Amino acid sequence: MKSLFLLVVVFVAVRSDNDDHAARLLASKSILNQFIVEGKELTVEYSIYNVGSSQAYNVELSDSSFPEEDFQRVSGSLNVKWDRLAVGANVSHAVILKPLRPGYANFTAAQVKYYPTEESQAVQVGYTTAPGEAGIVGLKDYERRFSPHIVDWATFAIMTLPSIGFPFLLWYRSKSKYDVKHKKN
Amino acid sequence: MATSTKILALAVLAVLPLLMNASTCIGPQVTSNVYTTSEASMSISTVFVVEVAVKCNNGEKDLLLFADVNGHMVPATQSGTGKFQVSWSDEHKKLPAGTYGVRFFDEEGYNAVRKEKRSGTDGSAVTPIFTVNVKHSGTWTGPYVQTEFVATCVALLVWYMAYRSKSFLMS
Repeated sequence: MKSLFLLVVVFVAVRSDNDDHAARLLASKSILNQFIVEGKELTVEYSIYNVGSSQAYNVELSDSSFPEEDFQRVSGSLNVKWDRLAVGANVSHAVILKPLRPGYANFTAAQVKYYPTEESQAVQVGYTTAPGEAGIVGLKDYERRFSPHIVDWATFAIMTLPSIGFPFLLWYRSKSKYDVKHKKN
Repeated sequence: MATSTKILALAVLAVLPLLMNASTCIGPQVTSNVYTTSEASMSISTVFVVEVAVKCNNGEKDLLLFADVNGHMVPATQSGTGKFQVSWSDEHKKLPAGTYGVRFFDEEGYNAVRKEKRSGTDGSAVTPIFTVNVKHSGTWTGPYVQTEFVATCVALLVWYMAYRSKSFLMS
């Protein structure tokens, strides 16, 4: 019994020694869009959370999964640095892009590099979560489904004018003739 | 001899700020670029992105910026020399249209705000290095009335007018 207790104590001591005073970053990447439409904004949000027991130094987030020819940068930067991330710190970073081509796109993970302690020489490399594959809807298809179609309705109204207006005009003409006759009598 | 000591003390005081390693920015020239979510279907939460390019008169290169975002202090990310970015997001309802002032602090200011917050006040007494005003024109969640609804109403109205005049004529 005593030896078992001793073993547990040693095991706990060894375990706690391994992650004593080192930072550990968890990072997530998510697409905030309901629909990803060609030519409209794509919102990407990154969240980094320090779950370790020390500050993380020189945290660098770099995302190379959005090539220039397929995604135009609207706002935000895809390569950013934080000098320090405190213990328990939860930071977020957003980038706004505009997809230039419809089709399927695979949203892969971004890279997070940091130093777990102030003295560490080796940089720790981690990756964010990957949102996965999603379809970029073409602008025409999106507008066909969602735009208010004001011009189409106005055209329709003008097109119905003859079939309603013509009988109305006939009736009005005869009505005015009848009225005049009635007055004469 | 008293005057010489005075002069020496004054000289030391004058030189002291230069000797200190605090990375403050004197006379910042700021260019800012702001983005806010405009359509609700393009994002499930309203996102604000503030990008600033800061040039200090004292040529400070290692500036660390912190921003006060809705009462919450966040470190600004660095995307190049003198270029910083602050972004935050929340539900559409919680970020209505209006102007939001984002105060930027250096390390000293950040520590001062933290101290004030710990002592109970909201830290609004600390002067920021600069403030960026974010104008949000609201997130568009769709038209008030669908055009199909309007078209149906107009059609029904026309039909009703015709029916009324017809029944009037027939009577």
